[in-house]
Amino acid sequence: MNAPQLIFAGLAFATVFSAVLVIAARNPINSAMSLVATFLFLAAIYAQLLAHTIAVLQVLVYAGAIMVLFLFVIMLLSLTHLGEPTPRPAFHQVVGGVAAVAVLAGLVMAILRWHAMAGAGRARESLLRFGTLEQVGGLLYTRWLLPFEAVSLLLLVAMVGAVVVAKPRI
Amino acid sequence: MDTSWFTKAWANPQALSDNLWLIIALPAFGALVCGVFGRALGRTYVNLVACASVLASFFLSVFAFQAVAADPSVIVTSAANGQPLRFALSGDWGVWFQAGSFSAHFGLWVDHLSATMLMVVTGVGFLIHLYSTAYMEHDPGYWRFFAYLNLFMASMLTLVLADNLVLLFVGWEGVGLCSYLLIGFWYTDAANAWAGRKAFIANRVGDCAFLLAMMLLVLTVTAFARAPSAEPPAIFFAQRRAVFAHAATSEPGPLNFKVLEEFAQYIPASLAMGSKGLLGTDIPIGPLAGHTYGHTLTVIFLLLLLGAAGKSAQLPLYVWLPDAMAGPTPVSALIHAATMVTAGVYLLCRMAPLLVMSPAAMATVAVVGALTALYAALLAFAQDDLKKVLAYSTISQLGYMFLGVGVGFFWGAILHLVTHACFKGCLFLSAGSVMHGNDGELNIKKLGCLRKEMPWTTACFGIATLAITGIVPLSGFFSKDDILHGALHTHLLGYEWVMPTVFAIGSLGAVATAFYMSRAYLLAFTGERAKDAKVPHAHESGWVMVAPLVILAALSIVLLLHGFPGVLKTPAGQPETLMEAFLKPVFGVADKLAVEAHSLEPETESNPWPGFVIALALAWVGGAAAWYLYKRVFPARAGKPVPAVFAAVRSFTVHKFYVDELYDAVLVRPIKLLSIGLFRVVDEGLIDTVLVGGTGWVTARIGSLLRYLQTGDVQAYAAMMAVGLLAGVGYAIFEVLAK
Amino acid sequence: MEISPVDTQNYLLLAATLFCTGMLGVLVRRNALVVFMSIELMLNAANLTFLAAARERLDSTGHLAALFVIAVAAAEAAIGLAIVIAVFRNRGTVNVEDIRTMKY
Repeated sequence: MNAPQLIFAGLAFATVFSAVLVIAARNPINSAMSLVATFLFLAAIYAQLLAHTIAVLQVLVYAGAIMVLFLFVIMLLSLTHLGEPTPRPAFHQVVGGVAAVAVLAGLVMAILRWHAMAGAGRARESLLRFGTLEQVGGLLYTRWLLPFEAVSLLLLVAMVGAVVVAKPRI
Repeated sequence: MDTSWFTKAWANPQALSDNLWLIIALPAFGALVCGVFGRALGRTYVNLVACASVLASFFLSVFAFQAVAADPSVIVTSAANGQPLRFALSGDWGVWFQAGSFSAHFGLWVDHLSATMLMVVTGVGFLIHLYSTAYMEHDPGYWRFFAYLNLFMASMLTLVLADNLVLLFVGWEGVGLCSYLLIGFWYTDAANAWAGRKAFIANRVGDCAFLLAMMLLVLTVTAFARAPSAEPPAIFFAQRRAVFAHAATSEPGPLNFKVLEEFAQYIPASLAMGSKGLLGTDIPIGPLAGHTYGHTLTVIFLLLLLGAAGKSAQLPLYVWLPDAMAGPTPVSALIHAATMVTAGVYLLCRMAPLLVMSPAAMATVAVVGALTALYAALLAFAQDDLKKVLAYSTISQLGYMFLGVGVGFFWGAILHLVTHACFKGCLFLSAGSVMHGNDGELNIKKLGCLRKEMPWTTACFGIATLAITGIVPLSGFFSKDDILHGALHTHLLGYEWVMPTVFAIGSLGAVATAFYMSRAYLLAFTGERAKDAKVPHAHESGWVMVAPLVILAALSIVLLLHGFPGVLKTPAGQPETLMEAFLKPVFGVADKLAVEAHSLEPETESNPWPGFVIALALAWVGGAAAWYLYKRVFPARAGKPVPAVFAAVRSFTVHKFYVDELYDAVLVRPIKLLSIGLFRVVDEGLIDTVLVGGTGWVTARIGSLLRYLQTGDVQAYAAMMAVGLLAGVGYAIFEVLAK
Repeated sequence: MEISPVDTQNYLLLAATLFCTGMLGVLVRRNALVVFMSIELMLNAANLTFLAAARERLDSTGHLAALFVIAVAAAEAAIGLAIVIAVFRNRGTVNVEDIRTMKY
């Protein structure tokens, strides 16, 4: 096992651990903080995947903006002290849990059978420029301009919608 | 003297041909007017419209008759074989419907046979319409009556004028319908309605057989028309055969009477070629393949006989006619004496060229006719209701006509049909007059001494009675005894035992006819007034009712000329009657074919007078027996108890030999039980409860079970989605990735 | 360094684990906000898959897909949290089990 694999192993373990903490923590604040940690570890993994732009955006947008929003809402609703007493799990929760575990098993089986395609990477882009902002930006503003504009429209709508929904009185 | 007046048609034959439909349309229009506007028009106008439409039809029929009878230049081209035909008018108004190689046309055809029937139907019909105007003058439903009567005329004329079996069947059904409507005319009394229903159902059984016969006939004729050309007849009539094949499979259709006649021509021709003949050949193609033509023709004609038996009240479907006397008397006179019940005889005569090809069927027809004649006569012995006596008499006389047809004596049957229409019509109308004058009383035991009070009616009834019993010199004698004479002297090959048998039965029937008719006359019209009569003195009816009686009675006498033997001579030197000569263009074909096909040998005895003398003697015997019994024996025994044997026989006869009860137990009751069973079990139980209600119940139950899936909990729905995803993942692994 | 030193399968396995963890959270937890966070986790797992495939094929289109996912996740988080606030205002709870108005 060489260095990248070792690094990946560590990062992966940490990611999974904090992800489990997200869903297992009693206090929602703990969940949120674990989620931030998960995002940061994931950003590192993205960097290892040479997806530099996305790694940065992950930290900026996800960990920086979205999670802040979550924390604001948690604090706004004063949920910090709400520790839910855990009654017996309902039937649908058991079914869901079993289904999730089974899906995991199935996906693992599927992935293990998957073989890499021969002749990987038709577009032999230079590894130096792969995943950089110039590369991503270049594609974004030329070939993928329409989705870009659509997403910006979506964000506008989301902004307006969030304000309207959250107001007590219009 | 310019005799061209007799040999030229009075009206342009082409114009007549094109306008034949008017003969049917005028009464139909009258029916429409009387039915729809009758109540508003009032009695006078309804009478006028009804009688005028029939009178107009009568005049048109007279012109058609004259054109066809007198003018040898009236020629039409037969669509069946392309040959010219004399003495016929024909009109065709296009295709009615077409299905594959079958087509039926609106076609009308007047030849000597149709012309005779036309005169009978329209003439007697008009007289009865006239009579009805007086008979129904106090009835509130008069407009309905005339509407139905006119509709009946239109249907009967369709039947008579049709040039193919399908259109004939339309008229056939139409007269059945009108019979039902008219029998149940006073429907407020349930018994009348049931009588109408019984008539309709009995007719329906016959109609079903008729339809089956038509279908078999279509299959047979089209199979022959398309048969492989190696058949012997093909060589014989090559060009004609091509025209026939076209006629039978596209225009004008396989059920056209001329096409059927042409088909019949090929049968003796096939014998002439030395093979076993068409009758013994198997039908080559179609659903009937494997059966011989001969067997199929026999089956077809037995079915047609059943159909005719339904309409003409023969065994076993005669049961409706006595009950049909519940209708008004003019209806009985028109429908159940003169016209509708003769439709069966007309049908068999129309099919004569083919009928003679099946000696088995002819024998059956003759035997059925003879048995019916005797049977009905015996039933008439014990009837006290005057109209019932006449009803059984009608059945009996129709039996004679069937007898005539069955022995190949077609012109005799038609002659008897015509004379019977006259004297039976006269008898029924007289009965109506008696009813009119005696406040509705019809029981002959409660009448009597009408001779003094109703002289005209008595005279007409008397003349008609003499005609029906066969007393010289009235027409009935000649027609009935011509039939019996012909029965004895023609030979059905293969069935020689039939001739003497039917002659014996027919003669017995003649004796019985004389007996019961004399009984009716003696009890009702002579003697003293019965003590329990409704009205002490009867009054004679007005001239509107008496005039038709007189006319019909006169015709009963005059028509003897048509049956008088020896008036004319055939080219071969044999004497023949006027009627025979008149109908020769129609039945000559059948006779010739019968001889060529070796199924019938014509009459060899040329002197009819010895037979006539015997017949006359039999009639006198019957009449004298009646006179003796009812004038001497019974009055002398009045007040004494009747011996048990005679009482039992009389009771058995009065109850019509319990045939109605038999039919009820064997046919009606099981069908009713079956219907009730099907209704209760299948319709109510199975379909309504189980299938329809059950479907609803199951759906409702499933719905209320599935309801529980709506928990309102989003996580539950998400759990279901997760399960679905699991299924998808499983599919991906096992079906896609595993391969 | 054209071929990734770490096998792509490993990344995919990690993504699958994260995805199913997120799914478990969605289906089991009762707090609406925790459910939301689990959904974000699932989206990240999808992102990881995109990027691993992009690295495998050396095609930057995967990065763009991940970019759009992030943008859409942001919009969705905004509106979703606004809805949670509105529901809390109406019902006084964020426990998904207590919001059952569509029950039969």
